[in-house]
Amino acid sequence: MPDVCPYLEYRQLGDETQSGDATDSRPRAYCNAAEEFVQAMRADVCNDRYGLDHEADCEIFREAAGPPEGVEGEGAGGD
Amino acid sequence: MAYDDYLDGEKVIITAALTGGVHGKEANPNLPETPEEIGKAAAACEEAGAAVVHLHARRDSGERSFDRDRFQAITEAVRSRTNLVVQHSTGGTGATLEARRQSLRTDPPPEMASLDMGPLNRYRHLTSENTRGMVDSLYDEMADRGIKPELEVFNDGHLNEVRGLLDRRDLADPVYATLIFGGGTTSPPSPRNLLNATENLPEGALFNTLGFGRHQLPLTTMGILLGGHVRVGLEDNVYYGPNELAESNAQLVARTAGLAETLGREPAAPDEAREILGL
Ligand code: SF4
Repeated sequence: MPDVCPYLEYRQLGDETQSGDATDSRPRAYCNAAEEFVQAMRADVCNDRYGLDHEADCEIFREAAGPPEGVEGEGAGGD
Repeated sequence: MAYDDYLDGEKVIITAALTGGVHGKEANPNLPETPEEIGKAAAACEEAGAAVVHLHARRDSGERSFDRDRFQAITEAVRSRTNLVVQHSTGGTGATLEARRQSLRTDPPPEMASLDMGPLNRYRHLTSENTRGMVDSLYDEMADRGIKPELEVFNDGHLNEVRGLLDRRDLADPVYATLIFGGGTTSPPSPRNLLNATENLPEGALFNTLGFGRHQLPLTTMGILLGGHVRVGLEDNVYYGPNELAESNAQLVARTAGLAETLGREPAAPDEAREILGL
């Protein structure tokens, strides 16, 4: 069952951007991790559409969520 | 196509790529998204000198849509206002093949549709796959519906894929390929790479030049000089100049039409483009 990213919300364009058209009242995807509006293509990932998945496919999510439990950094773990 | 075509003053087909599917109004508020906005933008581009319009569909939120009905609404908005050659995108990073077919199923079908020749990377984790199986499958549906493919060549390897497609399928003449230059998996943008790509096209193929961002202006100008056709618009480039957002798609088309005229090639009208492309 598709889920949506917990960092995703929909906001009016125009409040946060200088270039936004304040007359456009349609809400748009906004990423609270990146603190910016999301590009059209990436919004599919935010919404887990078409088999995309925010956890697997979004580097912003991965960075914001931090390393998985038990892993302290790039140097952790050997092979 | 070659420099001789330039010297002969062959008309240049200007394609307007109005909206795309990667960025939206967050990148440039003048980028059209609704069917109404796209219809109006198309009419302004025709007025400015475009002959072909390359279309993507958007949801109300500005996000990508692969919905047949949405493409239908857009195509009607464009057809009711213009005589432009309608070209639908079948691109769609991460979207299913079934979703990507939907743009081919409008009534009437588009006269042309884009067909990506191979994979390309997006962001850190996404790839637009475009396996040969997907390419063949999209091409077969285009052929069934009488839609001419515009072969999207994102890098030189895709020129090999064009030849492979020509081996596997019987494309109607003239073959029409768009040579794409930018970052990532696209060919590095340089005059030399555009020249090389034109020399690696199959015999008799026509080409269209597409440069992303600030490469749009110089490389399309070079495409005009090399006897090719050109694509401009907010899908590929949201700027008019350094740090200056474009006011509209039509502004970008008008600049290109003016350049073509200055360089001795008139922009083709839509019906002239139909003749050149064998539609
Ligand atoms: S950009 Fe990434 S982190 Fe932000 S809302 Fe979308 S999926 Fe989540």
